[in-house]
Amino acid sequence: MLEHVVNGLVLGGTYALVAMGLTIQYGIARIMNLSFGDTIIAACFGTYVLFSTLQINPILALAVVVPLGYAASLLIYRVIMKPLVDRAPSDGALEVDSILVTFGLLFAIQGVLLIFFGGGYTSYSFLNTPVNVLGTAVAGNRLLALGLSLVIAAVLVLVLYRSRWGMMLRAVALAPQSAPLFGIDTDRAARTAFAIGGALAATGGVVVSMFQTFTATGGVVFTMKALIVVILGGKGSVPGAIVAGLLLGLVETFVAAYVDPGLTLAAVYTVFLVLLLVRPNGLFGKA
Amino acid sequence: MLELETLTVRYGKHLAVDGVSLTVAPGEVVVVLGANGAGKSSMLKAVAGMVPTAQGAVRLHSLTLSGMPAHKLANAGIALVPEGRGLVDRMTVEENLRLGATPPRARGSEAETMAQVFDIFPRLAERRGQIVRTMSGGEQQMVAVGRAMMSKPDFLLLDEPSLGLAPIVVGDLFKALARVRDTGVGLLIVEQNVRISLRHADRGYLLEAGRITGAGTAGELMTDDAVQNAFLGGTA
Repeated sequence: MLEHVVNGLVLGGTYALVAMGLTIQYGIARIMNLSFGDTIIAACFGTYVLFSTLQINPILALAVVVPLGYAASLLIYRVIMKPLVDRAPSDGALEVDSILVTFGLLFAIQGVLLIFFGGGYTSYSFLNTPVNVLGTAVAGNRLLALGLSLVIAAVLVLVLYRSRWGMMLRAVALAPQSAPLFGIDTDRAARTAFAIGGALAATGGVVVSMFQTFTATGGVVFTMKALIVVILGGKGSVPGAIVAGLLLGLVETFVAAYVDPGLTLAAVYTVFLVLLLVRPNGLFGKA
Repeated sequence: MLELETLTVRYGKHLAVDGVSLTVAPGEVVVVLGANGAGKSSMLKAVAGMVPTAQGAVRLHSLTLSGMPAHKLANAGIALVPEGRGLVDRMTVEENLRLGATPPRARGSEAETMAQVFDIFPRLAERRGQIVRTMSGGEQQMVAVGRAMMSKPDFLLLDEPSLGLAPIVVGDLFKALARVRDTGVGLLIVEQNVRISLRHADRGYLLEAGRITGAGTAGELMTDDAVQNAFLGGTA
């Protein structure tokens, strides 16, 4: 029982972590990024290369991979997204355009990864020693992953809700039309939000790679899961992403353990459907 | 001095504002009267950088403003309270006020300005933790004016501040605006509510179909035949 709770939280923590990035990109930059999962996979491979060739452990790899994710996303925003933003007549149009262009980007990232790493499953062994948690053995790397996810989530919530800078980002998400009147540079906010989302995807990649196998074509699964978490939590809501991510992880783990491992996806979609029927805007969504 | 010089705003082929020229001095209250669709909102939005200026110019202390993005105009000393108030209505009063002090020119004096806002609108001090959308229309308009004051503007533009408010609330609002003016801020107000806005204004302009068709002191306009016929039903 406890074992499943811990495993569920580990899984849910990573869901929450990556969904926070997607929800920030969508909520503030108004870009629905379908290549989000592929950014995560790219970060997995980046960590793998650093670990297996240079013996840099994943914790230190964060210092390389995360800024790289931020910079790469900033570049993608400037080169690919900004022209779309400038020509979009409305937020709705930007959403559609961004879905199409990031769908293309997904295959571009995937293609590059396939060339370098092939289509096989990759993993490495780091901190794979059992740790005793209240009587159950849990892999050290999983515990570390959970710890990292929770710390990053807490920091992000603090920054968003306690700092002036976070307040400005939230204002852009909540009232994009009014924000410029406050003296807020909405272009810059969108760019920064997209880059932060990329940095969170990279963080998610590093964390996931510590305990999971990954493959160049596996990004879609992360995008799908993150998307479900974002919608469940309420579009643009970081606290919503955290709660929904943890919930989803627990549901998956418990269904796999007590019902049938083959039904995890079915269970996820059932929770998704039922919750949307009851709360169409998600758990923390605005009406 | 805030100067609009042959300001023109176009939406596609539609000419919303057709060569409007007017001035507002510091500490002056100027009202632009016009019916729905006369181009009042478009004029203010162009000054605040929310819609592009097709022709003409806006100058503030002889600095040309037209072409600057809205967030930079806020730092140049222009504050707009738009139709619909332009607040982040899912945030608290205090958050909106603090966000109002975003322009670098206002950062340093945030605490003082907030004290000033609370002095003019004591109600906001009581309600500082309340989510804006749960407040009454009159209170929300106070937040909107307070938020604009937080940016330490030289000129405050208001788009129909009286819209949807009860007469007694409108009276209080204009009294509060007079106190804002007393701090040296110039006010440019567009209104359909002729009586109350002229009572609190120094000068006024008439705007019809995007053009200025009349101008004068508030006293002159109050007794002007055109104003009488167009807005006050011909009775004086």
